[in-house]
Amino acid sequence: MAKTLDQHFDDLRSTRVWRSIFRSGAGSSTLKRAMAIQQNVFLHLFSTKVRTRMLSFSATWYLGTLTLGTFLILVATGIPLMLYYHPSVPQAYADTKDLQFVVSSGLFLRNLHRWSAHAMVFLVFAHMFKVFYRGAYRSPREFNWVIGVILLLITLLLSYTGYLLPWDQLAYWAITVGSNIASAVPVIGYKIHFLLLGGHAVNANALLRFYVLHCMILPLTAIFFIAIHFWRIRKDGGLYAHSSEPAVLQAQVQGTPTSPKIGEKWGTPDTSGGKEEQ
Amino acid sequence: MKTTEDLSRRQFFTKLGLGSLSIAAVGTAAFSYQFLEPNVLYEPSPVVNAGKPDRYPLDSVTLDVNNGIYIIHSQEGYFSLSAVCTHLGCLTAWKPELNMIACPCHGSKFYVQAQGDHKPGDKIEGPAPKPLPWKRIWLNDDGDLLVDRSTDVPPLARDSFVRV
Amino acid sequence: MADSKDFIAGVDSNAKKSPRRIVFITRRTSAQVKAETEDQIQTFPEVMFRAAVAIMTLAIVLVWVSLLFNAPLEGLADPSHTPNPAKAPWYFLGLQELLHYFPPVVAGVLVPGLVVMALIVIPYFKVNIEADGLFLKDRPKRLPIFLVIAAALSLFLLVFKVYVALIPTLIIALLMLLASQSSPQSPSAFRRYLAARPLSYWVMTWFLFELVVLTAIGTFFRGPGWSLVWPWQGL
Repeated sequence: MAKTLDQHFDDLRSTRVWRSIFRSGAGSSTLKRAMAIQQNVFLHLFSTKVRTRMLSFSATWYLGTLTLGTFLILVATGIPLMLYYHPSVPQAYADTKDLQFVVSSGLFLRNLHRWSAHAMVFLVFAHMFKVFYRGAYRSPREFNWVIGVILLLITLLLSYTGYLLPWDQLAYWAITVGSNIASAVPVIGYKIHFLLLGGHAVNANALLRFYVLHCMILPLTAIFFIAIHFWRIRKDGGLYAHSSEPAVLQAQVQGTPTSPKIGEKWGTPDTSGGKEEQ
Repeated sequence: MKTTEDLSRRQFFTKLGLGSLSIAAVGTAAFSYQFLEPNVLYEPSPVVNAGKPDRYPLDSVTLDVNNGIYIIHSQEGYFSLSAVCTHLGCLTAWKPELNMIACPCHGSKFYVQAQGDHKPGDKIEGPAPKPLPWKRIWLNDDGDLLVDRSTDVPPLARDSFVRV
Repeated sequence: MADSKDFIAGVDSNAKKSPRRIVFITRRTSAQVKAETEDQIQTFPEVMFRAAVAIMTLAIVLVWVSLLFNAPLEGLADPSHTPNPAKAPWYFLGLQELLHYFPPVVAGVLVPGLVVMALIVIPYFKVNIEADGLFLKDRPKRLPIFLVIAAALSLFLLVFKVYVALIPTLIIALLMLLASQSSPQSPSAFRRYLAARPLSYWVMTWFLFELVVLTAIGTFFRGPGWSLVWPWQGL
């Protein structure tokens, strides 16, 4: 009897070449599912198991995930855009026009890049406020909050450097105003302005510096801090879900009020009489 | 009764999902390829204006280094050879004392005049795999010689020469 | 927190052998996470698939928007001609609105700098860890302090004619006043809710309100010369 497509795929998956690449293989057993995370160089940043309540949509509205999603879209659209863009004056403007009118899918890529950028700035602010209002910055997650603020600044800088690249009136004057604000810093303001622009005015040097910042330095920095951010979520006890925090669970067992205790620090010896929960 | 042909709900949705993803992937690949090929090039035109024919005396071989072509005025008329060596793309040179075109990179040598069975452009010796191609040459309305570097013409054919 | 009676460890001092990891498990403490009885689920597929669906939904929305709306592109950059108005990207328009009232050192350096500093230190200040309602404790002392600060801030904004920032400040101050007159026994659910809000909530909500209002003004209500216009008079 002729083999079905599924049977052919099974044969493929049992070849030596396939098994040398995918060491664990797919499967629905707990072990296989854990190995899908644990054996993957990128995914083993995550733990193989998480608490059920962390899936709660109402807790986070998945804003952090969505912010990461916009970042991925921006990288995926930004790199193709780089193929048709020369960061020189005034070629940059001609290239932007080319992307919109001449390059296949150029208009779509540029639009998607622009709107994802606005979406990312909005989402990162929304994520920050949501984390604050549910109290997920409290100990032991303080440092992760600081990493988050750093990521907010990197996002704003990415958006700001990208704004100059089309070299149109909107770009030129927005950056001129912005860099003049930077020069208002007392004492070192002028120096900052000079270093940022690579000169005294927004010209070819400025465009090149902003291009390198936007396409290389800031994305790499962002990826670096995103990795730390995810790692800290895992190490600080997973996503904060108030009702499942041990302080609250303890209180429920003892029948005491359930608002989080002041200064309750994770990892200090519990004072519930030494009985370890199994 | 469930026969072996029936799909379970899970299998149906898996097939549907994977099928949609495949269609999306193929579409993305097609659009990506289209994106990567430039629709407009900002390169100089392949057509070269070589000036008036009387700039090239009889039996002269003139190399235009900026455009990579030879303008040769022989008994049969004016014709143009590509000056780009067919081996690996170096710019060849005209050697009047040896009456041949030679490539400095790996020593390929080419005929510049017909000799026996050999046509101008044929290889004398060297690693070049093919003879130097003849390029289309014609007179425009102003009486200038024009050469189209993107069009090859058959060697020694009637229309491969410009007769004035 | 190692209790020496809880374990015995033998240490191999042969330097040629590769080091072996020795794990100490002591009583009553664990690395970070305490053992719980709560259910756990596998990251793959539960978390991964939900994240994939969320991101795919986002991508579909953004693709749809990109197919319908074009990114703006004005004329070639011309250093000799400043457009009127010259607006920053939308997320900086709140700042640009402030620049209308205060010099660049204040609105451009001081305010953003202080805001970033304040954000960073939030989790390290006890006032942000307290989760009790602001006026439920120590009311006789806290209410006058609040009134003085609210009045001083409002006066400051009034003197500099920053009405756009004054209105949100007054609204928040009024809500805080209402909170101070409420308690967990108040008749309406709204007043009970307000009474339970801690100080950190009020400060952040004031900040969020200001941010939204200032950005909205800068985006929709400012025209040539940074004059006040109605949004429909041309963006």
